[in-house]
Amino acid sequence: MADDITLGESLRRRGLTRRDFMGFCAAATSVMALPPALIPQVAAALEAAKRPSVIWLSFQECTGCTESLTRSHAPTVEGLIFDFISLDYHHTLQAAAGEAAEQAREEAMKANHGKYILIVDGAIPLGENGNYSAIAGVSNLAMLKEAAAGAAAIIAIGTCAAYGGLPMAAPNPTGAVPVSEIIKDKPIVNVPGCPPIPTVITGVLAHFLVFGALPALDRLGRPLAFYGQNIHDRCYRRPFYERGQFAETFDDEGARKGWCLYKLGCKGPITYNACATTKWNEGTSFPIQSGHGCIGCSEPGFWDFGGLYKALSAPPGNAGATVASAAAIGIATGALAAALNRSNKKAAAKAHEALGVKDLGKGS
Amino acid sequence: MSAPSVEKGIRFIREQIDAPVASFFSACVHCGLCAEACLFYTQTQDPRYTPIHKVALMRRVWESEFTLWGRIKSALGLTKPITEADFTEWETLVYDGCSLCGRCSLVCPVGNDISGMIRKVREGFAAAGHAPEGLIGATTRAIEIGSPMGVRLPALQAQIRHIQESTGLEISLDRPGVEYMALLSSMEIMNFPEYLEAIARILRQAGKSWTISSKAFEATNSGIQIGASDLARVLVQRIVDAAEELGVKMVISPECGHGYTAIRWDGPNLIGRPYKFKVKHILELLDEFREQGLIQTQGLEEARLSFHDPCQIARKGGVVRQPRALLGLVAANFVEMSDAGAMNWCCGGGGGVSANERADALRLTAFKQKKAQLDALKVDTLVTACANCRITLEEGLEANDMNIPVIGLTEMIAEHLVETDRIEEKSA
Repeated sequence: MADDITLGESLRRRGLTRRDFMGFCAAATSVMALPPALIPQVAAALEAAKRPSVIWLSFQECTGCTESLTRSHAPTVEGLIFDFISLDYHHTLQAAAGEAAEQAREEAMKANHGKYILIVDGAIPLGENGNYSAIAGVSNLAMLKEAAAGAAAIIAIGTCAAYGGLPMAAPNPTGAVPVSEIIKDKPIVNVPGCPPIPTVITGVLAHFLVFGALPALDRLGRPLAFYGQNIHDRCYRRPFYERGQFAETFDDEGARKGWCLYKLGCKGPITYNACATTKWNEGTSFPIQSGHGCIGCSEPGFWDFGGLYKALSAPPGNAGATVASAAAIGIATGALAAALNRSNKKAAAKAHEALGVKDLGKGS
Repeated sequence: MSAPSVEKGIRFIREQIDAPVASFFSACVHCGLCAEACLFYTQTQDPRYTPIHKVALMRRVWESEFTLWGRIKSALGLTKPITEADFTEWETLVYDGCSLCGRCSLVCPVGNDISGMIRKVREGFAAAGHAPEGLIGATTRAIEIGSPMGVRLPALQAQIRHIQESTGLEISLDRPGVEYMALLSSMEIMNFPEYLEAIARILRQAGKSWTISSKAFEATNSGIQIGASDLARVLVQRIVDAAEELGVKMVISPECGHGYTAIRWDGPNLIGRPYKFKVKHILELLDEFREQGLIQTQGLEEARLSFHDPCQIARKGGVVRQPRALLGLVAANFVEMSDAGAMNWCCGGGGGVSANERADALRLTAFKQKKAQLDALKVDTLVTACANCRITLEEGLEANDMNIPVIGLTEMIAEHLVETDRIEEKSA
């Protein structure tokens, strides 16, 4: 349950040292892409903040987003759950089960009405009156509407909650939709990705804690601090793209040399995410670095792009033959024109009479 | 031999149209940047002096005979033929209003060698009988006498005798097997004999063997200026024959801008083969001597002085670093002119303009560009490395009541040269 005391007090009661606290503040500041000079302000804000109540609802999803969250290192998920937020309902992480679990959710919603943060992962099926997915006999649709009514803000974690993701992929048999299709009267932050980068999930929460408000968003509702840059623009393989050096298959010379994966279907050029800079597993690597193209998982409709291994813009049809015949006609025309011009010049040269000083006089 | 005519002129222009010319005309974007780079335009503000406009007749030949639309238009009788009046009108633009300084070629954003095209189109004007009287006279004298100013061998011999008597320096004619063959411009023989004495002293001090050919001492090439490759070839061939007969290793181009261009760059193309000797400008050679420690100087010029970069030597020849290094030896108060080096403004007398009396008034108008540069600098002395620049600058300064002496750089180095009594000449 959310405490009425401030975060600072709560932390001291739990025996967290000042040094540990400042360490967390520094990590949170960098995750939010804020300058280091702001660390003291972040510390002051966190010191005075109240631990917010967080309710996490999982709908049509695969638990991958939760798996990702549990791998967060800055702040760690333990630190996040025990020190900074009050995670009152999360059916994968909570100890309670059955009726006790649902009771905890209802109590938290009642006690913190209008103040809690609602986190949703997974899409919501609308087909068959929403009966494709239910928890404790309550359809996802009904549970979302009920929980959203008392939320201060909603964070849609993962591409399913943000844009529909895999459940909504054609032909979308369950009529799945993202959170934003159902809830129109609450602020929503989309944190897409399949799954999202763990530090991005915790970074958004940290931002809410520090500033008491949601971060600046792009046109697709994503925090600009993490989704403001294009994977392709920040990719370390970009120089190979500029030079036209591409891997053609996954086991050719180019692939071994680490050339650009564009022709192997990399979606980096149309994808906005922090993978190329923040990276995964405590900054160890990201898909392109491990030899596979970006699949564009943080973009709307990524499952319907038309094939993970299809290059973004391959020439349509039999372009080779068309280009070859056009080139042949062009070369023939050019050669003819050049021959005509050459003979013209040659005739003039042949008619050349060496100029002597006597020929320089004024013309008639 | 057919008489000069419009048809002959057009034929000569047609002969000059090659792939570079075709791509230059195709690439021109009509931006007008070349106008601002041309001193004849900036000082007259007359748009007819826009460099690319000066080759309009060549463009008309190219358009009507070498392009598809031009051919169709010609077939339909829609092309305006080039007339005698056109040649008369453009003659003053091509010869009087262009010193072939090459500044326009450097600023052209699409890389068109406009100055090179003006040089080419002059071939047509010379063949059509539309070259200026002054240049025809100079070219005739160069071919028939051996010098555009009519300087004959006895005049040179008299100069040599005079120098030998007053200084005791040895200057030999036609000495085979030496390392260097020096060329001179007529201007240096008649107006600036200091140059010959200067190189004699410097080469003696450096211990170099050298000579002058009695058959080819003249460095200038009026054929290049008037735009008659047939005559330019004759003049280059004389130097090549003399140098190869004497078996020299290097020909030294004197302080003469277009003479350097003619022998260094145009020459092998004109005669159609590489030389058996090297060619260097005197400043290149002096700077090598400086680097190798072959010459030392003493004392510094205290006067505030600047260097006028001759177009053919700096812009077209790339000799920019060397004069600065040499001035560093002898000048205490050297100041750089605005646009110095490759972008320097022409004196206004290059490309045959100074030999063309008809262009005198225009040349003095164009000199205002140089005057503005000098006014801003307030120098006591001006140094240069081209006898033609030097005479043009002197005339321009005099016309504007400006009291600034103009000095050749080689001569200035010789004045400060440390000379030892006996130098053994190293064999070539």
